[in-house]
Amino acid sequence: MKEFMVLIRNEGNPVANLSPEQQQEHVQKVGAYIKRLMESGHMQAAQPLEMEGTMVTKKNGSFVDGPFNETKEVISGYYLLKANDLEEASSLIKEDPRFEDGDWRLEIRPIMNVEGIN
Amino acid sequence: MAKAVSNTEKELAEHFFRNEYGKMVAVVAKYLGTAPIETAEDLVQDTLLAAVEHWQRHGIPDNPAGWLYTTVKNKTFNILKHEKYKHLLNEMMDSDESESVGFSDEEIADDQLRMMYACCHPGIGEEVQLTLILKILCGFSAAEIAAAFFTNTETINKRLVRGRKKLKIAELSLDSIKLTASTDVVLKSIYLLFNEGYSPSKKSRLVRTELSLEAIRLAKLVVFHPMMTHLADGHALLSLMYLNASRFEARINEENLVLEMEKVDRSKWNKDLIDLGLAHLENAQKGDKISGYLIMAGISAHHCIAPSLAETDWHEILKLYDAWLKLEDQPVIRLNRAVVLSKVFGTEPALVELLALKSQGKLKKNHLLYLTIGELYLHSGELDKAIVHYKTALEVCQNERDLTFLNKKLETAVLISKTQL
Repeated sequence: MKEFMVLIRNEGNPVANLSPEQQQEHVQKVGAYIKRLMESGHMQAAQPLEMEGTMVTKKNGSFVDGPFNETKEVISGYYLLKANDLEEASSLIKEDPRFEDGDWRLEIRPIMNVEGIN
Repeated sequence: MAKAVSNTEKELAEHFFRNEYGKMVAVVAKYLGTAPIETAEDLVQDTLLAAVEHWQRHGIPDNPAGWLYTTVKNKTFNILKHEKYKHLLNEMMDSDESESVGFSDEEIADDQLRMMYACCHPGIGEEVQLTLILKILCGFSAAEIAAAFFTNTETINKRLVRGRKKLKIAELSLDSIKLTASTDVVLKSIYLLFNEGYSPSKKSRLVRTELSLEAIRLAKLVVFHPMMTHLADGHALLSLMYLNASRFEARINEENLVLEMEKVDRSKWNKDLIDLGLAHLENAQKGDKISGYLIMAGISAHHCIAPSLAETDWHEILKLYDAWLKLEDQPVIRLNRAVVLSKVFGTEPALVELLALKSQGKLKKNHLLYLTIGELYLHSGELDKAIVHYKTALEVCQNERDLTFLNKKLETAVLISKTQL
C-alpha cells in the first residue's frame, strides 16, 4: 500500500453557498464517506485547515512572513490516504460526495517513498 | 493525526441545522443589540460551517446543540471585543447579564418570540415579513424561499435587504410585546405561511409542505410561551392548521392532483393531527372572542369528524359560514358558503347566490367561481350552461394543475352532452 496526500483546494468555501438544510446533508454524507474509508483502512487522516496562516519565505538573506493566500484558491483541508496505486487513490477520491456540492479540486500526490530509506 | 471517527452511529435530528440556525440568530441578535442583523446571521453561518468541517471528519458530537452554542457564544464574544461593539460588552458586564449568558431553552424561546414580533413589525409589508421569518427564524436560504414562492432568488434577496433595514429587534422587550397589538399580525403571518405551504403545487412540493410545518412550529412558540396567558386566537389558529394538515396527504393523488371531496380516502387522514386540532379547538372555545380562525377551525373539524362525505353535518357548517359572513363579508367566503348551501338546500339557492356574485363582478379572475357554477349547472342537468362556465374557468385560470383538472371537467361535460343528443 502506498501513501497519498490529498490536498482539498477550493475558491471561497463552497459549503457557505449551501442552505443550512443542505449543509446538514453535506456533513452527513461526507462524514459517512470519511468514516467508511477510515474503517476500510484507506483513510489515515482527514483534517480541515484554518483559513489563516502565514507564508514564511527567505528573501535576500532575511525571513519574510507574508500573506499565505495570494491566489484565490486555498487549501482548506487534507486527507492522508492509503491505496495500492494512484489509480485506486483517484477512484476513492472520486467517490467523495463533496463534489455534489459545489466546485472542489482535490489534488492527489503520492508521498515519496525511497526503498530502504523510509 | 485525526482521531478515528467514533464507532457509535449518531444521527442529527431532521432539520437540525435549519432549526438551530433560527434559534442561534435570535439569541445572538439580542447580544449584538443594535448591530445589523446580518452580523448575527454571519456569525451563525460561520458556526455552522465550523460544524460541517469538524463533524464530517470527527463524527457528530454527543451533544451537537451544545457544541454549536459553545462555538457561537465564543464567536459572539470575539465580535463584542471589537472596538465597534465594546460598549455593548460593557453594558452587558454592568448589568451582570454576563453570568447568565447562555442558551437556556427559556432564553431561546423568549428570543425567538422577540424576533418573530420584530419580523412582523407593522411597518414591514406582508411579503417581506414572511420572507424575513423564513430566512431568519426558520433558516431557509433565499433560493429555497424563492422556490416556495415561485419567484427568483434575486427578488427574495431584495426583499431581505429591505426587510433587514426595518428590523428593530433591539427595541423589543418581552414587556413591550405584551403591550402591543401586533400579536394579530404575528398570527396572520403564521397563517399566510401555512397557506403558502398548504396550497399544493407540483413544483417543490417538499419545500412547501415544510412551510406548513414551520408555521405550526412558530404558532406553538407563540401559544405556549409562558407570557401568553390563554391566547384564544392562537389556539384557534393551531387547531385550524392541525385539522387542515391532517388531510394534507390524502387529498393529493399519485399524479399530484387534488382529489375531489368524494374521492378522498378518509382512512388516510392523520388521526393524531385531528386529535391535536380538536384539543386546541376546545381550548380556543374557552375564549370569549369569535375569530375567523375559530370559525375556519370549526368548519374543518366538521369535515374531519364526519365518517363519510354523506354524513357531513352541512347544517352546522352552514351556520358557521353565516357567522363568518357576519364577521367579515368577503366574496370568497360567499363562494365557499354557496357550496355548503347547495348541500343543505339544493342547487337552486346556491346558483342564485353565485350568479349574484358573478353579476356584481366579484371574483372575476377566480376560476373557482366559474368552476363551481359549472358544477351546479351540471348537477341540475343544464349542460350548455355548465360548458360555458367551465370554459370561462379555463380562460381565467392561472394555475397549471387546476387547468388539467378543468380540462377534464370540460371534456366530461362535452361528452355527456353529445351522448344526450
